[in-house]
Amino acid sequence: MSETAARALARMFERMSEAIETEKDHLSELDGAIGDGDHGITMSIGFKAVNAALAALDLDAASPSEVMSTAASGFLDAVGASTGPLYATGFRRAAQALAGRDRLDLAACRDMITAISEGIRDRGKAQRGDKTMFDVWLPAAEAATTALADGKSERDFWTAVTTAASNGAAATATMVATKGRAARLRERSLGQLDPGAVSANALIRAISNTL
Amino acid sequence: MALKTSSPRKGGTNRGNGPEGIDSIPLRYGDDPYVWACWLYYEDGMTQGEIAEAMGVSRATVNSYLADAREKGIVNISIEPARLASLTIAQELKRHFGLADCLVVPNDDDTRPLIGRLGAAGAQALTKMIKSGDTLAVAWGRTILSVGEHLEMGPLQDVTVVQATGGTTASFAYTPELTTAAVARAISARCVNITAPAIVASAQMHDMLLDEPLIREQFDTLARANRIVFGISSLRPNSTIHTSGFFESVPLQHYLAKGAAGVLAGRFIDERGRPVAGPLDDRTIGISLEMLRGIGTRVAVAGGFDKVPALLAALRGGYANVLVTDAATGAGILRADGVTSLDGKLSQRQKSTPVANAYRTHVKKFLNNPNDVVDEMLDGLIAAHRPYLLPVVGSRRALVARNGPRPGKVGLVIGGGTGHEPCFVGYVGKGLADAVALGNIFSSPPPDPIAKCAVAASGGVGVLFVYGNYAGDVMNFEMAAELVEEQGIAIRTVLTTDDIVSSPVEDKEGRRGVAGNFFVFKVAGAACDRGMTLDECEAVTRKANDRTYTVGVALESCSMPQTRRHNFEIGPDDMELGMGIHGEPGVSRERIRTADEIVDTIMDNIFKEMKAGAGDKVAVLVNSFGGTPLMELYILFRRVEQRLAAKNIVIEANWVGHYCTSLDMVGASISILHLDRQLADLLHHPCQTAILTINAPETDGAARG
Repeated sequence: MSETAARALARMFERMSEAIETEKDHLSELDGAIGDGDHGITMSIGFKAVNAALAALDLDAASPSEVMSTAASGFLDAVGASTGPLYATGFRRAAQALAGRDRLDLAACRDMITAISEGIRDRGKAQRGDKTMFDVWLPAAEAATTALADGKSERDFWTAVTTAASNGAAATATMVATKGRAARLRERSLGQLDPGAVSANALIRAISNTL
Repeated sequence: MALKTSSPRKGGTNRGNGPEGIDSIPLRYGDDPYVWACWLYYEDGMTQGEIAEAMGVSRATVNSYLADAREKGIVNISIEPARLASLTIAQELKRHFGLADCLVVPNDDDTRPLIGRLGAAGAQALTKMIKSGDTLAVAWGRTILSVGEHLEMGPLQDVTVVQATGGTTASFAYTPELTTAAVARAISARCVNITAPAIVASAQMHDMLLDEPLIREQFDTLARANRIVFGISSLRPNSTIHTSGFFESVPLQHYLAKGAAGVLAGRFIDERGRPVAGPLDDRTIGISLEMLRGIGTRVAVAGGFDKVPALLAALRGGYANVLVTDAATGAGILRADGVTSLDGKLSQRQKSTPVANAYRTHVKKFLNNPNDVVDEMLDGLIAAHRPYLLPVVGSRRALVARNGPRPGKVGLVIGGGTGHEPCFVGYVGKGLADAVALGNIFSSPPPDPIAKCAVAASGGVGVLFVYGNYAGDVMNFEMAAELVEEQGIAIRTVLTTDDIVSSPVEDKEGRRGVAGNFFVFKVAGAACDRGMTLDECEAVTRKANDRTYTVGVALESCSMPQTRRHNFEIGPDDMELGMGIHGEPGVSRERIRTADEIVDTIMDNIFKEMKAGAGDKVAVLVNSFGGTPLMELYILFRRVEQRLAAKNIVIEANWVGHYCTSLDMVGASISILHLDRQLADLLHHPCQTAILTINAPETDGAARG
């Protein structure tokens, strides 16, 4: 494979942006039910900005870590909202986790997903079951860790990660929101998928399709 | 012979059959035998036989009168709504999950703790189910102990109550031993405890203990159980499972990582009800999930929203065939499992055509490119309000007051999403906010413009951040604070939390900030302009926020420029109480009422918290969410004034208009600031902004305007 790791990551962000564009209206609709109806738009703006920032980067010279930190600033400067700080912190942590690495092997992928998950947790002070994007990133990170420890093949590794992510997203329908705007709805949030969790699932699928 | 009304029980002739056989119906029944029959039955409490005799007809005729009367609507049986709701929910749960039975306690009695109400209901269910000769297995837990405490039963014979799991140390009141003993005592049953620990150190120890004749005998009893009662524990962080000491925390994390959603009788299940394997499995002494499912009557007693995923898992897995829960949790379970028919049944309304048809597909708006609305608005706004503000270099999203910041003055930075105009940008200027950071529609600004604002507003003695309490704003402003503090600028933050219906009073810090921002900003701006210290500015701003009370009501939701559709629909006869300023759904949906009644609901809510007495002074803000015209705002203000006057509360100052909007949302909010001398003084402090100008008081001592 001649593609550099930095290029692969940049392509990953392109795929993520495409995935969000496909889901955009659906996400906003989900958000309209329990939030303020702008999640699809916010994510779309954020990932477009990431791609614009990466376009300005010399991908032949950049390290995977630099790609990640560029994505973090690009995202944050464009959107704010709550997804801004959450993903920016996640990507920044991923940049730290990838520092000094130039290969995106499964261990690097595991560390990247784990770092994003931890960044989101720390910034949002989220816990499992709060009905947030963390309910997708955490199981995905855990599945990645377990799959790698069990010596799974690359194919099985990604199957485990994406399955955990989509189960996590589906499970948010049974949770009562305790964070963000949906929390004001209390039990009225039951039965509704969390839009942040649904978009996280789309992002993880995009990661799996690229790497 | 005609019957006399004065002696209805006399006679009993058999000469007539059917209505035509009655030749003298007492006048007050208007010649209607149905009404007469119903009166005797429902009001006088007579039996059908007695009525037959009184009316001189057969018992079968009376029976058909009574049945027809219900069909004809002569008799309407009404059930108290909270009870009806719980019955409906119980029926739906029974149907949806194929349960043998279901008991749902109404949520009309919030004075008693849920555990007690569930315990009483669980006890009621058991009373109906336990028969002589039964063996009842009992799992441990707080709710099940409560069942035992509420249980009272007449004498039964040969009932055995057996503990469903091993025991634990008695560091909490609801150990397996105590729970089982409480149930056994209540029904005077033989009590069989499992005299081994619930969790042992190793699989070998588990096997050795189960080989012990004594324990084997106890297990044989458990295997004979034909009924079981158990609680369901959630794995949420605040669940008692974490504090009970039943499980060590490390294996608990393992089960969580493998997708465990709930625990019943010490065993873990995932969200579909499948067993979750883990390190404790062969170290746990107690009933297995398979054994449990083999028992004939399996009564689960549990309630509380945090238990919804766990309850759903237990129901999906078929572990319970009798469920005892509360109405709110029951409705939650159904909703979480995608049952939507419930809402229609609960509201008892006539079916109407879908609301969406009443709307146009798109809301008309003045737009160029919908993606440019924020930037184009800001271009116009910066041009229109040039006398008051200008952009901080390089950003439209950070605006600074022309005559605001000065050395030695605490800087006031406010901000938030756009779509609330004239909030926040209209309050930038001399005497009020020094700078404002703006995000996309309803979205917090990123840290960068906030940090730029802080630097621009800084006069060397610190900067105060005041903004609404929303997760996104908090994260971005916190990141910005970290950035500028590195540059040596001290930052203090006051979150506005004036929306009193968004969270109960115990969770005051969790409330969101809405139109009451207006008062909090005004006080903060005045404090900063007076040259008060950062500490003093923070304290008085906090006080203003603590004494500001807002309630909003929406009639129609707002539409985003990008979608030009309503974010969600509010039914033709409905209103949404506790509406936020982002078009997010409110706290409860109710039937729309008259303006006065709506104001009364709002003011009652406010008076519940605001301790204002006769002679106290307040400031009032009646604010439109964007789509409600001034005409209606004045109607609202009229009633607000009446309600305050009735309490001899003095309106020191008032504002009626568009002060904090939510795009084109139809609706309004009422904010009251309970003044004290200091707050009144700061409220009257002069300021010059695009939206609010207060001039210096007349020097001749005239009353303030």
